[in-house]
Amino acid sequence: MSISTTVFSEPLFNFKRCHYHRLATVSHSKLNQHTLSSSSLFSSHKYDSCSWILKPPHKFFSPKFETFATDTDTLESIQSSDVIFNQTHPINRIELVEGKIFVRLDQGNDLKNSELIVGCNLPGKWILHWGVSRADDIGSEWDQPPRDMIPAGSIPIKDYAIETPLKKSSSSEGDTFHEVRIGFKPSDEISAINFVLKDEETGAWYQHKGRDFKVPLVNYLKEDANLLGPKTGLSSSQGQISNVILKSESTVDKVQENSSESESPKKENSQVEGFNVELSLTKEVTVNNSISVSVRKCSETAKYLLDLETDIPGDVFLHWGASRDDLRIWEAPPAPHPPQTVSFKKTALRTQLKSRGSGEGSSVQVSLGEEFSGFLFVLKINQNTWLNNNGNDFYVPLPTPGSIIIGNIEDQSKVVKSEVTEETSEEESNSAFTNEIINEIRSLVTGISSVKRRKTKSKEAQETILQEIERLAAEAYSIFRTSVPTFSEEVIVESEVALESESPELPPKICSGTGTGYEIVCQGFNWESNKSGRWYMELKEKAEELSSLGFTVIWLPPPTDSVSPEGYMPRDLYNLNSRYGNIEELKDVVKTFHKFGIKVLGDAVLNHRCAQHQNQNGIWNIFGGRLNWDDRAVVADDPHFQGRGNKSSGDNFHAAPNIDHSQDFVRKDIKEWLCWLRDEIGYDGWRLDFVRGFWGGYVKDYMDATKPYFSVGEYWDSLSYTYGEMDHNQDAHRQRIVDWISAAGGSAGAFDVTTKGILHSALERCEYWRLSDQQGKPPGVLGWWPSRAVTFIENHDTGSTQGHWRFPRDKEMQGYAYTLTHPGTPSVFFDHIFSHYKKEIAALLSIRKRNGINCRSKVKIHKSERDVYAAIIDEKVAMKIGPGHFEPPSGSQNWSTAWEGRDYKIWEDAS
Amino acid sequence: MELSVIGSSQVKLGRTDFACREFGYVILKNNSRFSNGRVCFGQNLRLKKGGMGLKAIHVEPIREMKKNLSGSRTRSKQVDGVRLFVGLPQDTVSHDCNSINHSKAIAAGLKALKLLGVEGVELPIWWGIVEKEAMGKYDWSGYLAIAEMIQEVGLKLHVSLCFHGSKKPNIPLPKWVSEIGESESSIFFTDRSGQHYKECLSLAVDNLPVLNGKTPVQVYQSFCESFKSSFSPFMESTITGISMGLGPDGELRYPSHHELPSNRKTQGVGEFQCYDQNMLSLLKQHAESYGNPLWGLGGPHDVPTYDQSPYASSFFKDGGSWESSYGDFFLSWYSAQLIAHGDSLLSLASSTFGDTGVSIYGKIPLMHAWYGTRSRPSELTAGFYNTANRDGYEQVAEIFAKNSCKIILPGMDLSDANQPNETHSSPELLLAQTMTTFRNQGVKVSGQNSSEFGVPGGFEQIKKNLSGDNVLDLFSYQRMGAYFFSPEHFPSFTELVRSLNQPKLHLDDLPIEEEEGAESAVMSQESNVSMQAA
Repeated sequence: MSISTTVFSEPLFNFKRCHYHRLATVSHSKLNQHTLSSSSLFSSHKYDSCSWILKPPHKFFSPKFETFATDTDTLESIQSSDVIFNQTHPINRIELVEGKIFVRLDQGNDLKNSELIVGCNLPGKWILHWGVSRADDIGSEWDQPPRDMIPAGSIPIKDYAIETPLKKSSSSEGDTFHEVRIGFKPSDEISAINFVLKDEETGAWYQHKGRDFKVPLVNYLKEDANLLGPKTGLSSSQGQISNVILKSESTVDKVQENSSESESPKKENSQVEGFNVELSLTKEVTVNNSISVSVRKCSETAKYLLDLETDIPGDVFLHWGASRDDLRIWEAPPAPHPPQTVSFKKTALRTQLKSRGSGEGSSVQVSLGEEFSGFLFVLKINQNTWLNNNGNDFYVPLPTPGSIIIGNIEDQSKVVKSEVTEETSEEESNSAFTNEIINEIRSLVTGISSVKRRKTKSKEAQETILQEIERLAAEAYSIFRTSVPTFSEEVIVESEVALESESPELPPKICSGTGTGYEIVCQGFNWESNKSGRWYMELKEKAEELSSLGFTVIWLPPPTDSVSPEGYMPRDLYNLNSRYGNIEELKDVVKTFHKFGIKVLGDAVLNHRCAQHQNQNGIWNIFGGRLNWDDRAVVADDPHFQGRGNKSSGDNFHAAPNIDHSQDFVRKDIKEWLCWLRDEIGYDGWRLDFVRGFWGGYVKDYMDATKPYFSVGEYWDSLSYTYGEMDHNQDAHRQRIVDWISAAGGSAGAFDVTTKGILHSALERCEYWRLSDQQGKPPGVLGWWPSRAVTFIENHDTGSTQGHWRFPRDKEMQGYAYTLTHPGTPSVFFDHIFSHYKKEIAALLSIRKRNGINCRSKVKIHKSERDVYAAIIDEKVAMKIGPGHFEPPSGSQNWSTAWEGRDYKIWEDAS
Repeated sequence: MELSVIGSSQVKLGRTDFACREFGYVILKNNSRFSNGRVCFGQNLRLKKGGMGLKAIHVEPIREMKKNLSGSRTRSKQVDGVRLFVGLPQDTVSHDCNSINHSKAIAAGLKALKLLGVEGVELPIWWGIVEKEAMGKYDWSGYLAIAEMIQEVGLKLHVSLCFHGSKKPNIPLPKWVSEIGESESSIFFTDRSGQHYKECLSLAVDNLPVLNGKTPVQVYQSFCESFKSSFSPFMESTITGISMGLGPDGELRYPSHHELPSNRKTQGVGEFQCYDQNMLSLLKQHAESYGNPLWGLGGPHDVPTYDQSPYASSFFKDGGSWESSYGDFFLSWYSAQLIAHGDSLLSLASSTFGDTGVSIYGKIPLMHAWYGTRSRPSELTAGFYNTANRDGYEQVAEIFAKNSCKIILPGMDLSDANQPNETHSSPELLLAQTMTTFRNQGVKVSGQNSSEFGVPGGFEQIKKNLSGDNVLDLFSYQRMGAYFFSPEHFPSFTELVRSLNQPKLHLDDLPIEEEEGAESAVMSQESNVSMQAA
């Protein structure tokens, strides 16, 4: 078979880039002739004295050189030095291999034992994926065949198909042959057998004319383009359907129908006669070839002689040039050039390799002057296929006079991989072009002569320069990025270690940033909750249910007197009669939740406060109530409120005077107020509103003073978008949140806005690859500092009746399937709990509980692809979201499905 | 795939813009992050104005420059902007094998910078790499290779001679120096609790034969001479500037914060570093000659620790000991030691490189935390006796002027608005003060940004500092690496480059008197002082 070329190369994965060759001694008579003929290549007298050497330069073809040398008496005249450099590069290229599919239908003599035989003569792990069409079924649906039709070893696929592996057998020519036989009794029930072929090795599917193969068993089927076998009626002129090239619609491989030898049909009742069809198919096979380069120095001419040999069959063109420095800038070396050399884009030469007589492989020899320090090349085969060194030009360093190169100085580990081969010529001319530009820039004398410059430079050239800058920056980025650890990650690792290294084995210490670490938060209100005026009493009724669902923490709305009914424009902080209920009802609801073992968070709005009085200029910046601050408590940098405090330590919220937390008296009063809320109402912790507005260090101060059981801050700013599309890398965004948590000394967690944003894009646009960052970790705050990340998919601002940033509709459960199985402390929105999602949320909560998933659980991402994301958490819970397929790997765990919903699934380890 | 990610998110070109833009400068268009309301004015206008935004470039002898300050139009190569340099990665040459790290990335990066119109690159050259194995055994090969690459691309090279070590990336002092330090830890700076700072040698041993019979100054000198002879083919043609390493992170200061926290975190006041044996004995001698031997027994006892605020202890409080005669005695001595150290290294550099035609630079830190307090403790512990009562930078500027050296001021990306309030930090005011002081001494000022990873508003602040009346010698942008070329950063950088070379119209139209600027800075400086209850 044609892929037998693979015997020449070692497999890529254990292939060493550089070989030092030992003398090969095997002689190979078949190759002798070729080498003789190729000597004409170098018949110019310049080369005569030094063209052949004793040491064979190439591993694979070395024998022929030896033989050649002895055959032709030129040995004595050889004066050249030893091989100074020798290297073999593997080249993987895709080759189309042609083979055939055989489909034969044998109708038994007695019409009782018919047999369908499907065979294929290409190597592979072939599977027949098949089903039948029933006579009474008008549609094109497949059905499972009757039980007695199914050969042993078959696997049923859902309820409509069977997969049967093809068995290996040997044909008369000794080639391997795969076939499967399906025996059946013809009946009127089954009108056709449908199948496709699948190659398990490559995962490729083979169809017929872009559709399923269809073997009719009765002949009243409508004529269909993909019918196989004898056609009824007029159609057949001895069944010669020759060379109709058909494009397949859904397969990677082309199936050509090629001179099928079908027998002429004869009508006979309703049964079709047997037939035999051969269809040719092509399969893409990766062929490992190699190119070897050996360098010698000719002592007489002081030139380098490079021998290139490859075992790639067919015409091979060498594009080559030389460079004078490490920058590998292409330059066309001066003549003499080997025969059949043409100059290519000024900076490179193109030479066709001379094929060897045997038809396997070709070679060429080029000479280069001493002034060059490197030899660059790429290969071209066929029309458009470029072969290069994993995306880079091949480069052969030439020793500077006097030194010897040891091995390959190129550090292959830093080579960027790119699978593009066809762009090589672009790249190559690009880098040459860059150098031209640089030279031009250099030659343009700086000064004010830009008018002249403007005239001479066309817009196109300038544009090319800018594109070139982009390309170079991208190249530099891709290399740096892979080798330099990111700064931010280190910081987090450190802080995480610092904060969480304390005895991980002991039951987790309760701290205000994390609670016990096993908390599950319920946001206990929405934007409309104030409407009834008795929310506290309504919520009280739900306490028992929330507790039984598994919630451990509830977040209540802001309790104070407020200008807006929702509570986020607080005025008199000590007046706790709000639109949600009065202070007694608040105490009551808190007490009730405590009774059911749920901790209560108060929503503390510390960034801003509405004034009750105007100053002498008519500006509302004098506060009332027990905390009767004046304009010294207001930050100075918001002109609307004419504060006399210091400049704000954060962003300003423009609808109300922002509090200047740098003032000692302000901080003292706030601490006192928070402590009063804890004592008087019984709050256990805080949800801190708009913490972007002031420095995290003050939050630490407040947390230290009030010692909450659990706290979480709202640090909400925009993710990064480029041209309206969300960037994959949201490190800057999560860094800002993490910075805030650090500034607060880890004394409070923060809502993981980053994760919400990324989930939006992933679910909405089916871009589940976004759910893994470049380090293969979750891309949100929970990937960096899970214990302080409070994950959520919706809140009163983003959703509810405001809908500022609503989670993709109907995908909420995928969001919860993510947050409720992942580390971080999940927060669930009231509206979702009391909706048709209740059952699903309850199920996910109980999975989280019984598997002990907590804010520090370890997550391992298994899949992060276009249409599916899958991860295993603490090796106990596996989950996937997205329509794509995932099955948790069977290993030590015994996975059983724990819950399944629309586009998500969760497994538990049952062992 | 990687390529395409960038390709889609980066610079888009506006064709129409090129009619009036210079070759090589990038306009960002369609990028939502930048509003595109820029005035695009014709070339003829610029020509007419004849170099309104002219910046003086090549150094003339210092004295001459002083009188030329406002209007110097000497051999200026780039009339339309400050000379922009970009720092190469700290670990450009690897510590382990003296070869170029990521040479392919650097090669691509150099080309990109050249095409962008950047003047040159800054390259840190580490003592711990070149003289790693043994005293006097220099291996310049890695650095020569990179210099060749730079020359080939046609960029200028500014080298920074680093006589200090670095933790990130890990580049220690030369092995043999560290070995000496293990037995003789007094060659390192030491704080009150006895901790050593091992990233550079104490300035107290400058002239003591602690390194195998040689003094550190002698060792630095030999290093400089070896550098000079090894790089002679590049001098002046490619190498246009040399920064002399003066202390921790190359800066003239004491390591008053053993580990400088990143700029966004709150800084404490730091600690005095006068507790190594040699410093203490110098202090003792000084106190004795001053006639008050009791003051020479140690540093001040009532100071806060590294991360504490000035109010944590009495020394730095308003009316605290820093304002007493003891305080003045100690602080004067402490800063004089630093200045003498700077003087000796700068004069070494200027005598060694004086005949090469290459400019010599030194760098001082921008200790901006607590600048709004009267005592300014961060500067005091770092060795700059700069308080509400006294300009501590005058004497520093004098040694730069004396040795014909230029000054590099970092922190040009830091804005007051982005500093934590409670440290009364003011990078902008401190920068204004130091720039004025150095300029008054005729010292050319160069700029640098502080954070490699960007700070909020950093680019705007840099632009502000580079525009208008701030005549900078060069600006050294820190630093090439993954972040630098990332899609989040690189477009902003190209935008910076473009804006530097294309100053906005109103700046050209409204030249601001330098004096005015300085005055207003002083005024606001006053108003920013926060009085403390004693």
